[in-house]
Amino acid sequence: MTPLRRRILDYGLAAVLLAVPVVMLQAGLKSPDRMSGLDQAVLRISSPLQSAMSWLVEGVGGVWGGYVALVDVEEENRELRSENQRLRHELGAARRAAADARALEELVQLRRETDAETLGARVVASSINPYFRVVRLRLDRGAGDVEVGMPVIDDVGLVGRVHRVFGRYSDVLLVTDPDSSIDVVVPRTGGRGWVTGLARDDIYRCKVEFLERGKPVEVGDKVVTFGLGALPAGIPVGVVSAVRAVDYQMYQEVEIEPAVDFGSLRRVLVVLSPPPPPDPDGAEPAPAEPAHRMGSY
Amino acid sequence: MRLVAQVFLAYFMVLVMAALWRFLPIGRAIPDVVALSAVYLGLAARERLAPSMLAAVVMGYLADLLIGTPSGLLSTSAGVMCLLGHFVQGRLIVRGRLVTAGFALMIGLVSGAVLTALRAWHGLLSESLGSEIVTALLSALLTGLVGPLVFRLCRRVDARFARTRRERDAAAEGLIP
Repeated sequence: MTPLRRRILDYGLAAVLLAVPVVMLQAGLKSPDRMSGLDQAVLRISSPLQSAMSWLVEGVGGVWGGYVALVDVEEENRELRSENQRLRHELGAARRAAADARALEELVQLRRETDAETLGARVVASSINPYFRVVRLRLDRGAGDVEVGMPVIDDVGLVGRVHRVFGRYSDVLLVTDPDSSIDVVVPRTGGRGWVTGLARDDIYRCKVEFLERGKPVEVGDKVVTFGLGALPAGIPVGVVSAVRAVDYQMYQEVEIEPAVDFGSLRRVLVVLSPPPPPDPDGAEPAPAEPAHRMGSY
Repeated sequence: MRLVAQVFLAYFMVLVMAALWRFLPIGRAIPDVVALSAVYLGLAARERLAPSMLAAVVMGYLADLLIGTPSGLLSTSAGVMCLLGHFVQGRLIVRGRLVTAGFALMIGLVSGAVLTALRAWHGLLSESLGSEIVTALLSALLTGLVGPLVFRLCRRVDARFARTRRERDAAAEGLIP
């Protein structure tokens, strides 16, 4: 066979081979759902391979996508954490501001209601001494106005008395301290006594001493300041939480729960001088004397 | 044996492309690796075209089955590409990345044109001709991008099945033996 004939034959065969798919396409389009045995065999072999390849590519793609996504997520996470922290700070500050505003509002109300001359103070520390029930105050005004022995109250009741003064700061001995002694009365019975602290580690509690048995108190009775000396009268001190009357004793053993929540003290008033006594003739009230000089603290 | 290996290589590349396609942000466009393989077979056809044509048609047939195009569409296109490769064999040396990429881009365009013509002939074109053209152009571009890699793989296979050292070196260098 000459090279030319061989070439012609080669091209002719190539042309026939090229014509085959053209015919296949024509036939396939006439009945597209029809598959030959060869088609089915090829697809049976190819499908698992295609599935495996897809699985492999999806796996690799998933890992890659996950990694890339994780990089973004890490950065986003960091930003969100930072923002969350900032928002928490802001929320905390807002809550503190709201609580301060509320406390101030209550304090202003208290000052309006209290006839005595008072000075506002902010609690800056509490329980600073393990042996005493003391809170530390920072006065709103300059030093010099506050002296040892002055009563300290908040919007619910009696907090204690000024124990020490240093510059613009003062320590207040709470009514729950054993060294504290307050002249009180039970309004329902009229019985009088002295409140002193129990200094229990787990709870703020006081006891009323020298409360006569002749005027028996009950759990739930209110206890207020009597009003002699430095303390204005009628300031709530607490509520009777336990009573024990012993036959051979002259006095009742009474335990009271303080009116003030010492754990959440934020703003208080220092009573600089008690309200002047009412003048029976209706004349101008006498000027008030400093509170610390009038009490028996 | 060389042609069987080339068919398997094309088959494998179509498998990979079919699996990868979904993950690529290129829309409907896909590089025409069948056309590239077919044109390579035409370029590398030694004394006779018919065996290469057979391999190209089989390649297209397998691609039709794998991709799900009407049976005969890609194999006709692959046959045409093989023929085209054979005709330019003596006039063009496809060597170097840039030339190969340019050549592959041209092959992509021609293949796209052939496929569009075949589909138009059989009434398979979609209504939006503009979208068809954009997809064909993107496919041609992608074909140009993957062309050097496909040709490199095909040359590796050729080199592997070379009968002599000279043939192997020529295949590896991108010279048609």
